[in-house]
Amino acid sequence: MAHLNVSNVTLSFGGLKALSRVDMKIEAGLITSIIGPNGAGKTSMLNCISGFYHPTQGDIDYKGKKLTHASPHQVSNMGISRAFQNLELFSGLSVLDNLLLARHQNLKYSFLHAVFFYGKASRIEAENRAFVEGVIDFMELEPYRKSLVGNLSYGVQKKVEVARALTLAPDILLLDEPMAGMNQEEKEDIVRFVMDIQKEKGITVVLVEHDLGVVMDISDRIYVLDFGEVIGSGTPEEVAQNPKVIEAYIGED
Amino acid sequence: MSANTWLATGNFYTTYKQEQKTFFTSLDRSVFTFFLIILFAWPLFFPLSNKFMLVIDNTLIAVVAVMGLNLVTGFAGLISIGHAAFVGIGAYTVASFCRTMGDTHIIITHFWPLMIILSGLVGAGFGAIVGLPALRLKHLYLAIATLSFQMIFQWVINFMTFFNQGQTISVGRVFWFTGKVGRKDHYFFWYYAILVVVILLGFGFRNLLKTRYGRCLIAVRDNDRAADAMGINPGLTKVYAFALAGFFAGVAGALHAYVYRGVGFESFTLHESIGYLAMAIVGGLGTLNGSFWGPVFIKFLDLQMEHLSEAIGQYLPSGMNLTTAMKPFTFGLVIVLFLMYESRGIANWWRITKSYTKLWPFRY
Repeated sequence: MAHLNVSNVTLSFGGLKALSRVDMKIEAGLITSIIGPNGAGKTSMLNCISGFYHPTQGDIDYKGKKLTHASPHQVSNMGISRAFQNLELFSGLSVLDNLLLARHQNLKYSFLHAVFFYGKASRIEAENRAFVEGVIDFMELEPYRKSLVGNLSYGVQKKVEVARALTLAPDILLLDEPMAGMNQEEKEDIVRFVMDIQKEKGITVVLVEHDLGVVMDISDRIYVLDFGEVIGSGTPEEVAQNPKVIEAYIGED
Repeated sequence: MSANTWLATGNFYTTYKQEQKTFFTSLDRSVFTFFLIILFAWPLFFPLSNKFMLVIDNTLIAVVAVMGLNLVTGFAGLISIGHAAFVGIGAYTVASFCRTMGDTHIIITHFWPLMIILSGLVGAGFGAIVGLPALRLKHLYLAIATLSFQMIFQWVINFMTFFNQGQTISVGRVFWFTGKVGRKDHYFFWYYAILVVVILLGFGFRNLLKTRYGRCLIAVRDNDRAADAMGINPGLTKVYAFALAGFFAGVAGALHAYVYRGVGFESFTLHESIGYLAMAIVGGLGTLNGSFWGPVFIKFLDLQMEHLSEAIGQYLPSGMNLTTAMKPFTFGLVIVLFLMYESRGIANWWRITKSYTKLWPFRY
């Protein structure tokens, strides 16, 4: 039983087809990677799932519920959170506040509680803070807790981006090139985090990544996109043998 | 751990609850309490003339209005150039009660706190309606939408006989436990009333910022795409921001109606809207204390300019009306200077002062 089911999704902008007839099954508890050359439609696929784009045709189901026309906040409330490729952090806030913000829908207290800040709101905020500290711990962001996100280095900002998506306590985590533009050491860090997220937290991970070495090493399933079409899928071994994939990546001889 | 609770020499928190406190050191809290006591006590010892008391009442009303504007423009990042119209909505809520029931009806005179809250709620309702374009519009385009609300408001008031076509609608004197508040004590009484309102709203504002209802505003300002992905409904949040601003403005409007004992449309024109925006900018957008600095600074400046131009005016031919020229001139100059040299407003000076003195007596 697939966790997240993408069936026959087509996304077109005018005459341009960013995605055509894409089928994907993202299974619970696995790391599924989406790879492909530049402009293949990987990020478009993530945008479709997370509600930023709505497919022209086809359906996206999650646990029997349709996500096809849901808006991003509805999708994230269903338990699918994402990290952006180009940093989309709240740059004027501290790391802590960024993460606290992501807990928005998980905090249940009323407006009046908030205005008077007695009992419930105060207690829930303290619990919330404890939860966020857990994520900070997990992502090893302790030194940066109080610093402004805008002042941090790129690598750390990427980590905050992943941490923020994690703070939503999702079932599925969509990571859009979390390793782009990082050095070897930082990459290894992120890989470790991604694997921990899957193993320790039991979160399903969907990874869009360019670094083939990383993808082949950590993925359980791989989908290869090229010009908006799925040209190959399966375990890393299967994909590595697939002649179409080899052609798309290396070219014909 | 025997932490020194008076000076912030380090971080001694052991629970997250402790970090929620509004005042981090006892010194902060005592200074603030002392300041409040002074605010309450000074009129008893230094009675001012009605004219100056009115200026001070006016300033406090502006503080309430600017707090609202700061929420929508400073925190939620939605420029509103129709804020005076929201203030007007509050004032005209009181006025319409006066028109229908008579200006000395018991609801107006005895239940004025209820009237103030009601005006706030009506303001919030209108705020939510005016906030609807924010679902689609952004930045400058949204500003134009709020401007159109300002225009619609002025036209409606000017052309409806119910609102006396913008001419003054009088509001009766209120009663306190001691009886009717007379002419002599009027501004004095309202000083305290408004001060209490400012303090209550100020604390409400402060608390809101510590919770999800405040954070979602900042999220929408900084990056509404990411906010959306983080489970915050950006459209709803924007409408909510306008409703909050409308509430503050409505309360300010009701207070204005009571203090002036009348409502006329010229207090709620575009000019006033720009004034509120200027106060918010000079005070510091996106800060709570900026909502206090801004109005105080601008109103005080206005007063001083009046004095100055009166003094200079004695040596000039009587045909030259210096006051009318000087006020807009200094007003404009101050805004330009602030935008150029201190775009984060007076609140930034406050922040710098605090961070310098934080570790006293140690240097770092």
